[in-house]
Amino acid sequence: MNSSALYDRACAYLGARGVPPEELLERVAPCMDEARSLARFRAAGRTYEAPLPFLQKEPYVSFLAGCAAYALVVMTLGGEIDRRIRALTVTDPSRAVVLDACASALVEEEGDEWEARFGAERTYRFCPGYGGSPVSDVAHIFRELRPERLGMQLLPSGLMAPQKSMAGVVGIGRRRERSCGACMLYEHCAARREGRVCYRSENK
Amino acid sequence: MLPLGKQVIVMDGGFGSELERAGLGDAVPEELNLTRPEAVRAIHAAYAEAGADIITANSFGLNRIKYRGRYALADLARAAAENARSAGKTVFFDVGPTGALLAPVGTLTFDEAYAAYAEVAELTRGLVDGYIVETFSDLYELKACVLALKEHADKPVFATATFDKTLRTLTGSTPEIVCELLEGLGVDALGVNCSLGPEELAPVVERLLSSTDLPVVVQPNRGLPKLVGGKTVYDLSEDEFALWTERFVHAGVSVIGGCCGTTPAFIRRIAAFKGRTVPPRAVQKKTAVTSQTRRVVMENVRICGERLNPTGKKALKEALMREDYGYLVAEALRQEDAGADLLDLNAGVPGIDEPAVMRRAVCAVQEYCELPLQIDSSDAAAIEAGVRYYNGVPLINSVNGEEEVMARIFPIAKKYGAVVLGLTMDGRGVPRTAQERFAIARRIVERAKAYGIPAHKVMIDTLVLTASAEQDLVSETVRALALVKTLGVATALGVSNVSFGLPARPLLNKTFLAMAMANGLDMPIMNPLDGEMTGAVYAYRVLAGIDRGAADYIGRYRDAAGAAVSAAPKRESASPAKDLYDCVRRGLREDAAAMTEAELAVRAPLEVVGDVLVKALEEVGALYEQGKLFLPQLIASAEAAKAAFAVVGTRLHKTDGGRGTVVLATVRGDVHDIGKNIVKVVTESHGFTVVDLGKDVPCERVVAAVQKERPLAVGLSALMTTTVKSMEQTIAALRAAGCTAAVFVGGAVLNRETARAIGADHYTANASEFVRVLEELAAKK
Repeated sequence: MNSSALYDRACAYLGARGVPPEELLERVAPCMDEARSLARFRAAGRTYEAPLPFLQKEPYVSFLAGCAAYALVVMTLGGEIDRRIRALTVTDPSRAVVLDACASALVEEEGDEWEARFGAERTYRFCPGYGGSPVSDVAHIFRELRPERLGMQLLPSGLMAPQKSMAGVVGIGRRRERSCGACMLYEHCAARREGRVCYRSENK
Repeated sequence: MLPLGKQVIVMDGGFGSELERAGLGDAVPEELNLTRPEAVRAIHAAYAEAGADIITANSFGLNRIKYRGRYALADLARAAAENARSAGKTVFFDVGPTGALLAPVGTLTFDEAYAAYAEVAELTRGLVDGYIVETFSDLYELKACVLALKEHADKPVFATATFDKTLRTLTGSTPEIVCELLEGLGVDALGVNCSLGPEELAPVVERLLSSTDLPVVVQPNRGLPKLVGGKTVYDLSEDEFALWTERFVHAGVSVIGGCCGTTPAFIRRIAAFKGRTVPPRAVQKKTAVTSQTRRVVMENVRICGERLNPTGKKALKEALMREDYGYLVAEALRQEDAGADLLDLNAGVPGIDEPAVMRRAVCAVQEYCELPLQIDSSDAAAIEAGVRYYNGVPLINSVNGEEEVMARIFPIAKKYGAVVLGLTMDGRGVPRTAQERFAIARRIVERAKAYGIPAHKVMIDTLVLTASAEQDLVSETVRALALVKTLGVATALGVSNVSFGLPARPLLNKTFLAMAMANGLDMPIMNPLDGEMTGAVYAYRVLAGIDRGAADYIGRYRDAAGAAVSAAPKRESASPAKDLYDCVRRGLREDAAAMTEAELAVRAPLEVVGDVLVKALEEVGALYEQGKLFLPQLIASAEAAKAAFAVVGTRLHKTDGGRGTVVLATVRGDVHDIGKNIVKVVTESHGFTVVDLGKDVPCERVVAAVQKERPLAVGLSALMTTTVKSMEQTIAALRAAGCTAAVFVGGAVLNRETARAIGADHYTANASEFVRVLEELAAKK
C-alpha cells in the first residue's frame, strides 16, 4: 500500500489542502499505526455480466458504459476500530477525529488494493449515494453478497455497520478515475469550492 | 444415549451445498421443509446412511429476526424437526445467528436476540433431542442464544463459533474467551464450525482443546472457497479432509462433522473414526475473567480498578443518581489508560433502582471499555442484572461465609459461569486470626463446590482492616493470603483500606501492597490512577521474576525521572505553555488547570473567561475557518479550554456561570456521532451546559429532554440523506410539543436550503459557527 497516499488522504479528510503540514502529519502518524493494528479488513465481491435491475438506471448506466463486466463489492474494517474511536471520543476527542480520518482513509486504500483482483482495466469503486444515486441501493448489494458473514449489517436507517464499511460497484474492462461530478456532496462540498479534491491519492 | 466425550461421535455435513447440488440453491432453505420435504429428507437420509450419529435439522435461519418469509415459524420448525427425524437418528435443531448485529455496532438488543432464541426453544419443545448452536461470530449474541436455550429447553446444547484467519471471531474474541463463556453457561459440548478449512482451523482446535475439558466439536468447511466463474467452489479432497479429521480425533476432539462444501461422501470417510475412544486431556484450569476481547488470568498480580464504587465518592454518587453514564465511562477509560486489568463496578446508591442502574451501567461501560468487569453489589438482584447483560465472564463481588449470602449468590455465579469473590467474614464479623479467616475461606470453597462451582471459579479476599484501629491484624491479613493459596484459589485485597485515619496514606498503601504481593496477592483492588501504586505492581513483577528481562517495566518507565512516577503514560513532548492563552491556543490540555490557577491569581474569574479563554478560542476558530488550523487542533484547543472552564467554574458564583443549556442529539437511524461530539466539546468549552442524548435518538427522547431542560437551543445532527427525514420528524415533534428553543441542524448532507425546508431555525456548517450563532442567541436573552 502506498503509505504517503494513505497519509495524504487522512490529512485531506481532516481539512488539509495540498501538501499536509508537518503539524498535522505528526498527529496522523501514531493514529495511522493504531488504525492499522485495529483494522481487520474483510471484503467480498462477485462479478456479473448482465446488469442487475438496480443498475439499469442513471447514473450507473453511464458509469458502467463501455465495461465488459462489473463486480459488486463490500468491505469493512470491523467493529474493533469503531469501539476505539468511541472510547477516544470520551478520553481524547482530538485524537478520536484523527483516528476516525485514518480509519476512513485505510478502508478506502485497502479497498482499492483489494480490487486489483479485477484487473488493471477497471473503474474506481462507485458507491450508492455518488452522483445522485440513492443510498438505499446498498440494500441490493447486500442482497447479492450477503456480507453478514463478514460481520456487516445494513441498519434500518440504510447505514452500514460497522461504521468503516463500504459497498459499491466496480466496472471491469475499462479504466475510469474518480471525479467530483460523481460525488454525493458535489453541490455543497467546501473542498470543491476551494478548488481542492479529497481523492488525489486514488488517481494514480 | 450417545457416548459424548467418551467415544467419537459423527455429525452430518454441509446442507446448503447439498441443496445446491439438488438444484434447490435459489430457494430459502428453511422453506423447503414445507415445500419440498422429500428433497430435505433425502439429504438427511444420505447423511444417516453415510454414518452420521446426529442429524442436524434444516433450520439454520429459523428465528424471527432472520426469517421474514411467508410461513409461520412454528410450522417450519415442526417440519424441519420431522424431516430430520425421518432419518431415524438423534436429531439436533440447528440454531444459527440472527444475521443482525447487536448494539452498539448494530441496533439489535440483547433482549431481542434472547427472545428470538427463547421462541426457538419453545417452538421445538418435545420435537428434538438437542440443539447445535453454530456459526456464531459475536460473543454477545452467542450468550443470548445459549442462555435462552438453557432457560427454555432441557435438552443438550452444543455450541460452536466461527473464527477467521486471525484466529478470532468477527467481534474479536479468541478461542479461549469463547471457551470461558460457553463452559460457564453450561453447554454440553463446544467448538468451531464453518470459518475455514480443517488445515486453517488446526490452531483454533488446538487452543480449544487446551482451554476446556468439555467435549470439543469440530465441523470445518471443505477447505478455503475459491471463486470460479463468479461461483464459490470448494475443492479439498475427501482424503485430505479425513486426514485432518483423524488428526483432530487423535488430539482429543469428540464430535466431528463438516460444514460448507462437505457432502455425505465426506461424512462416510470420517465415520471410520466413529466410536474411537476420546483420549483424556489434562487441562489446567486457571481463574480467568473476560470481556468480549480480553481475557485476564488471575496470576502475576492483576490490578482491579476501584474507582467505579460510589462509597466515599460524591461525584460518582451524583452521576449514578442522575444516571449520567458518560461519567462512568470516562472514569472507566481513565483507569484503563492508567494500567488497570479489570474494573470494579458498583451502583449502590440509596434510593435508586439498583438492578436497573447496574444493567445500564454495565452496558454503557462495556460499549467503550475493553476491560473485564467485577460486578459489585450487596443486592443479589443487582448482581444478576449486571452479570446477565455482561458481555463475557465477569467476577462477582461478593459472598462471605454466611450461608444465606452464599445461597443467594452462588446460583447466579453458577448459572452465568462467573468467578465469585468470597470475603473471609461471616455473621460474627471479621475473625482476628489468619487461621480463622482461612477456615471461612475453606468453607466458601467447599460450599461453592456443592453448588457446582469449581475452585478455579472462586477468589478469596482475606480482608484488610485499618492499621490505625487494628494494627496487629495487618499481618494476619497477609498471613491469611498465603494460607488461602493452599486451597488452589486466587486472592484479592482492597489494599487502600489499610491506611484510613493515618497521614501520608499513599506511603502505607504502597508498602502494604508490596507485603501482600510477596505473600501471594493476585488481585489488588486499588486506584490505578495512583502512579506509585501501579508502579509498585510493575516493580514487583520485575523483582519476582515475572516480567522477564524487565521488558514491560522498561517500556513504561524508560523516561521516568528519578522518583517522580506519574500515573499518566508519558505526555507528548511539546514545549510547555507560556500562559493560559498560549495553552488554549495550542491545545495543551494537561497544562490547562495549572495555567488557569496562575491566571486566577491575578484576574477575576469572569475576566479570565472573557479576556483569555474566549479570545483564545476566537483566534483558534478564525484560524480554523481560514484553513490554517485543522480539526484535531480545534478540538484540542476546545478540550484545553474546557479543562480551564472547569477550574474557573469552581470560583464563579452560580449566577455568573451557566451560559445556558444546549441539548444535542444525532437523530434516529443515524449512528455517526463524531460531528455531534465535536460540537459538544466546543460548545462546552465556551461555558455552555450540554445535555448530550447520544446517537440514534428517537424524537420522543429529544422532546422529553427539551421539556425537562428548557434549553437555549437544540442541536440535531445527521450524516445521511436517509436520516434527514428523521431530523424533519424530530423538528415537527418539537414544534408540536410547543418547544420554543432554537433548533440548529448540521451534518454532511445538510445545507441552508434543506435546513429551512425541514423547519430548522439555523444551519451551521461546523462547530465554531455553531458556537458563534449560539453566542448571539445567548447575548439576546
